[in-house]
Amino acid sequence: MSDKLKEIINKQSDSQNVDMNQLDDVVQLVGFVIGDEEYAIPILSIQEIIKPFSWTRVPQVPKYVLGVFNLRGAVIPLIDLRAKFGLQTKKQSDETRFIVMRHEDDVAGFVIDRLTMAIRIKKTNIGPPPDTIDSDDTIIDGVGKQEDKIITILKVNKLLERDF
Amino acid sequence: MDEFQEILQDFLIESFELVEKLDEDLVELENNPEDLELLNGIFRVAHTVKGASSFLNFDVLTHLTHHMEDVLNKARHGELIITPDIMDVVLESIDLMKALLETIRDTSADAGIDVAACVVRLDKISGGDGEVDTPVAAAPVIEEVVEAVEEDDDMDYDNMSPDDLEAEIEKLLQERQSEDKAKRQAKIAAGEEVLTAPPSPDEVEESSAAEPTPAAAPKPPAPAPAPTPVKKAEEPKAAAPAKRAPATVEQTIRVDVKRLDHLMNLIGELVLAKNRLIKINDDVEERYEGEEFLEELNQVVSIVSLVTTDLQIAVMKTRMLPIGKVFNKFPRMIRDLSRELNKKIELEISGEETELDKSIVEEIGDPLVHIIRNSCDHGVETPEERVAKGKDETGVIGLKAYNEGNQIVIQIDDDGKGLDTDMLKNKSLEKGIITEKEADSMSDKEAFGLIFKPGFSTAAAVTNVSGRGVGMDVVKTNIEKLNGIIDIDSEIDVGTSMKLKIPLTLAIIQALLVGVQEEYYAIPLASVLETVRISKEEIYTVEGKSVMRLREEVLSLVHIGDIFEVERILDASEHAYVVVLGLGTSKLGLIVDTLVGQEEIVIKSLGDYLKGIEGVAGATIRGDGGVTLIVDVVALMSMARDVKATTMIDSSSESAGVTEKTKASDYTVMIVDDSKTDRTIMRKALEPLGVTLIEASDGQEALNILKSGDHNFDGMLVDIEMPRMDGYTLATEIKKYNKYKNLPLIAVTSRTGKSDRMRGVESGMIEYITKPYSADYLSSVVVRNINFKAEFL
Repeated sequence: MSDKLKEIINKQSDSQNVDMNQLDDVVQLVGFVIGDEEYAIPILSIQEIIKPFSWTRVPQVPKYVLGVFNLRGAVIPLIDLRAKFGLQTKKQSDETRFIVMRHEDDVAGFVIDRLTMAIRIKKTNIGPPPDTIDSDDTIIDGVGKQEDKIITILKVNKLLERDF
Repeated sequence: MDEFQEILQDFLIESFELVEKLDEDLVELENNPEDLELLNGIFRVAHTVKGASSFLNFDVLTHLTHHMEDVLNKARHGELIITPDIMDVVLESIDLMKALLETIRDTSADAGIDVAACVVRLDKISGGDGEVDTPVAAAPVIEEVVEAVEEDDDMDYDNMSPDDLEAEIEKLLQERQSEDKAKRQAKIAAGEEVLTAPPSPDEVEESSAAEPTPAAAPKPPAPAPAPTPVKKAEEPKAAAPAKRAPATVEQTIRVDVKRLDHLMNLIGELVLAKNRLIKINDDVEERYEGEEFLEELNQVVSIVSLVTTDLQIAVMKTRMLPIGKVFNKFPRMIRDLSRELNKKIELEISGEETELDKSIVEEIGDPLVHIIRNSCDHGVETPEERVAKGKDETGVIGLKAYNEGNQIVIQIDDDGKGLDTDMLKNKSLEKGIITEKEADSMSDKEAFGLIFKPGFSTAAAVTNVSGRGVGMDVVKTNIEKLNGIIDIDSEIDVGTSMKLKIPLTLAIIQALLVGVQEEYYAIPLASVLETVRISKEEIYTVEGKSVMRLREEVLSLVHIGDIFEVERILDASEHAYVVVLGLGTSKLGLIVDTLVGQEEIVIKSLGDYLKGIEGVAGATIRGDGGVTLIVDVVALMSMARDVKATTMIDSSSESAGVTEKTKASDYTVMIVDDSKTDRTIMRKALEPLGVTLIEASDGQEALNILKSGDHNFDGMLVDIEMPRMDGYTLATEIKKYNKYKNLPLIAVTSRTGKSDRMRGVESGMIEYITKPYSADYLSSVVVRNINFKAEFL
């Protein structure tokens, strides 16, 4: 009996180890769409995803900073990624979401057009940003290749960096 | 290691607390060199620090405090008189001690500070070889006293090394103790003898209680009425309980400041929730008027808001510190300054028990140092000058603190030469801070304000004390950072008085909420002097700036919309409100569209991403959950200078973009009705025209569609009775927008009363169709009102 138990336990821990190993070279991302492109950010840098609500305009900031909003008592900046990426501003729809991202102590909300899905992608399938992009200053972390498409993975710390 | 850190922390906290009190005591001691209690207290500090530091292996600190202790011990035993020169050395050593403690705090080691020079000086004093100005006359006298007390005390103190001295003192103490014991036994024996006559112990006590004064007083050449050796030996014992008595320990616990900050944040949240609750309560009251549960709800809401307010005050109080903590260092500073400047200055402190928020207490110290230095250096004259002016030789600087409403006032007065407005103006002209014209039109108050201008310094010669030209303007910015203001009053040869008015706490403030277009801003109430309602005609333009006449003054104006780049979508009304802002002596009128009211707001930072936006001090969360920005009045004042007067320009020119209609579907009409059936009937009636139809089920939805700007409407059919927002309100709201001023609104309703029609007209409806109506009639009314081109029919 106890042998059997041991066997089961061993098996379980083995399978867990396997899982862990698999996790090691898999990155979990959340994909979203802005304009026609699909982007993704690491799932761990997302604090929450919320439906849009009202915000307050802040003067003397670039157009892509919409203002600030109240997230359960905290005042958080709201950034329109469409505007930041140089696209025409679009009216918010039912699919519009605010993604609240966090990197260390910096938090900000980002307006995106639509969420796609949570993505697991092998590290080996992620390539560096294209050579045409200056690697120091870019907000692109890498390019994830999937069967039928490619996804641009963004650097959250760069997104949260003030650049004005 | 951790344990060591813990001990070290405790040691530092304790030491800093002790040292802080030390400064004050030492200066006090200089005035009353005979005060044994003070001396004992000071000695104990040195002793405690020495003990702890030797335990923690801080050798330099131990070395220094050890020598300090020697000097103080001598003074304590009346072997040394504290003269100003000795005091200088003692104070110097205390400064060193502070520096060492700070080094320890920062680096956990006490290396890097040289104490040798100071130790030598201390040694000289305690060695008493007379060279360091030890009053030669006094020393032998004291020795005599000591000799008279202790027969076997024939040691030569002058030639003793400090260590030997310590040993000697130790020995003496032991001797005294044993002697004391013997004496006590004798007393008991005596008590037994005179059991029926109690006055005798009383007598002993009385004499011993009265004794310290003459014995400790080193002045009399010999202990005149010859206190017997027995009594002398008793002295330290008598003094000890006397000083212990007043030191009743307060019941306190130490709390990490972070926890208090966290608590304060939570209270902030609670205040916001309370505001929100009150707002909801108002809404509910309106909607369910007369319902029974309302009263109960009212009660709960008022209890919650009451308790929240109390809680907020209680937590604020836990963060309060007496301002005496800051004031403590000034007696010492004044003493040093008066010696340095060869002036006689006395400091009078009052109200040191007045309490302020911890964060403010930390910030207020430096500005005060600056102001007091300035008073000493530029304010108070030299003794000769003072005598010549017929004033007392000693100048007095008064430092007091008191509460005034929601503010605390710190007042610094001096009886010096006062501020000379002509001199101030000339100086500013020279330095190009003001123009000739400004100088002429300047009031005295404004002239006093010049000392806060950057680059201004009235000291002809730059001294060590002040006058480097960075000073008062920094003071001003620092005070303004705390939302405080400075008020100066001065009279030549009588003195200068400065009042710093500072809010009690930084986190929660009273604010005036103002509206501009569809936005709201909060202005700290402390900077609001008054509000006035004006009409457009009252605004004049002078040299491209808007101004208005406010009683006898000319007030410069700026529109809040120009400062914060507010888009003007709403029609400016005939009237506006001016919020008169005051900061020190400068004033500014801020034009706003509406005044919302006064509210208690919790200041929140905008975070790193948005920090440093000019004119915005932070944000707060309002009762409705929205975010409102807080105006930074200081920045606003300077921004106002660069803003051109675009105020109140009639913006009706920018009308809705009229595009050429090329087909029937270019016309867009909105149908607003809560009934689906009615909407369908209207749709059916209008569809034959071929116009585009948009439906909304109530006023609010209609307004949102309008605001979104997705369509350019040519007309609207509006039902009157609708949930959320009725037709009248909708019409009034729509007419507020410049863009829709000329949008034809057609009421479609079953209300037929005359007063209903009147209300319709008042709210801006141009046609009134009563249900039921024929489809043809409806379509003809619409065609007429939207200027539908005949060729599309």
